[in-house]
Amino acid sequence: MATYYLNVPLTDEDVVQLKIGDLVYLSGPAFTCRSRLQRYIFDEKNKLPFSTEQRNLLIHVGPIIVRENDDWRLVSFTPTSSIRFEKWGAKSVKEWGLKAIVGKTTMGEETAQAMKEHKCVHLSPQSVSPNLWLDSIKIEDVYLFDELGTIEAAWHLQLDKFGPFVVDIDCEGNNYFEGIDTVVEENKKKAYKDLNIPADFKYTKLY
Amino acid sequence: MIKKEVLEHVIFDTIKKGSCCIPKDVREAFNRAIANERTQKAKEGFNNTLKSLDLSIERMNPACPDTGWPLFFLKVGNEAKIEGGFMALEELARNMVAKATKEGYLRATMKHPLTGYDPGTNVGMNIPHFTYKFVPGNDIEISYAAKGGGSECFGGTRYKMIAFADGLAGIKKFVIDAYSAAARAGAICPPAVLGVGIGGTGNIASALAKEAACLRLVDSHHPEEMMSQIEKDLYDSINSLGIGPMGSGGDTSVFSVNVEYAYTHIAGIAVALSSNCWIARRATTRVYSDGRTEELDNPNWFDGR
Repeated sequence: MATYYLNVPLTDEDVVQLKIGDLVYLSGPAFTCRSRLQRYIFDEKNKLPFSTEQRNLLIHVGPIIVRENDDWRLVSFTPTSSIRFEKWGAKSVKEWGLKAIVGKTTMGEETAQAMKEHKCVHLSPQSVSPNLWLDSIKIEDVYLFDELGTIEAAWHLQLDKFGPFVVDIDCEGNNYFEGIDTVVEENKKKAYKDLNIPADFKYTKLY
Repeated sequence: MIKKEVLEHVIFDTIKKGSCCIPKDVREAFNRAIANERTQKAKEGFNNTLKSLDLSIERMNPACPDTGWPLFFLKVGNEAKIEGGFMALEELARNMVAKATKEGYLRATMKHPLTGYDPGTNVGMNIPHFTYKFVPGNDIEISYAAKGGGSECFGGTRYKMIAFADGLAGIKKFVIDAYSAAARAGAICPPAVLGVGIGGTGNIASALAKEAACLRLVDSHHPEEMMSQIEKDLYDSINSLGIGPMGSGGDTSVFSVNVEYAYTHIAGIAVALSSNCWIARRATTRVYSDGRTEELDNPNWFDGR
């Protein structure tokens, strides 16, 4: 398990070296997104109003940002669950040329496959620590604010050693959480015994 | 008679505290986890989260940007009198939720379920939500719970009807299977404060589970031995699974298992679980009939626990 400090724009070389379980801190430009933005672009066929070429890091998040003295003040920021956006995951990786997605949980098989093909990773937080992250995030700009509202707009951020995040999907399509699943399933067998749940227990079918 | 002016302040402060400050018992659960975890990685997950939570208390900013569903639980003295009555209290509460949202203590999270319309206030059809319990006396106790989206959306909150034939084994299997699936990859922000409701109709079991998750202290125990044994057994078993902070592996997989029950129909047993995320946020204030107020660490929603 290694720790990496990476700069955006991320290159293929930056991300292919990452293995599941590694920790990553990120610096440079990024943009935020959740379902309304992806629906707006991919389902409703609108054009993304900015280039992602130098900004190939997407963060799934619904921040709290308030308007104060003609400026934006970031109040709270924690990545939200990526798995909900699986429907648009592969498209986002491919069409936006992403090299990394930061979000809670993980993503599904289709996105993992796209990440393998296009060299991209998914990064997941191990803590919920908005106050430790506030100082490493600066708001640069916002797009689609009127169309999508504060939480779902595409915020442009400038990051300074934002992290740590664990690599949960690497460029080979491996998933960190599958390893945890194996441990949990194994431990569950003993837990059933401790709870006096018979190994062949079947529910009476009521519906 | 409790004046509107008093209630307005109390409700606003309770919302603010409920969103920004984790209660003492939850803070203790973090400290225990940091002491017990065997890997540096798991310790750090708890440590970083606790550091941020303490800063939220200091800065009075939301503990998490997901400030959740706004839920009010009111323990009302049978003789309590409120200026304008309870409809006035609910109107005040809606106004204070909107005010707290405008001032950045709550995120504008509540939307129309179909159109996606966002009023920007967290106020809409049936939201905020009010639950009442009547007790002797003339005071009222107002609890506010910020019920996070993750812990509600990913299977950490659900119910199942089971046959009497399946009994206790069926109840325990449902809880451990549902919880471990929901905690996968950190979806429900584990280790949760897990509420379990047994018996009643589906919605009675679900409400008991929700109240047990949001209003009972971590480490509290049901006074009936049969129930507290189920709590202990499920607590030990879930903590043996290895789920850890945000599902990334570790020794602490659930903070507390709180069981409540209701008598049920001979036809079957409803079992419900409700997970509250690890940063289980709630605040309670008692308002006396003479207008004095007191902040309480324990909502004491279920007598003595």
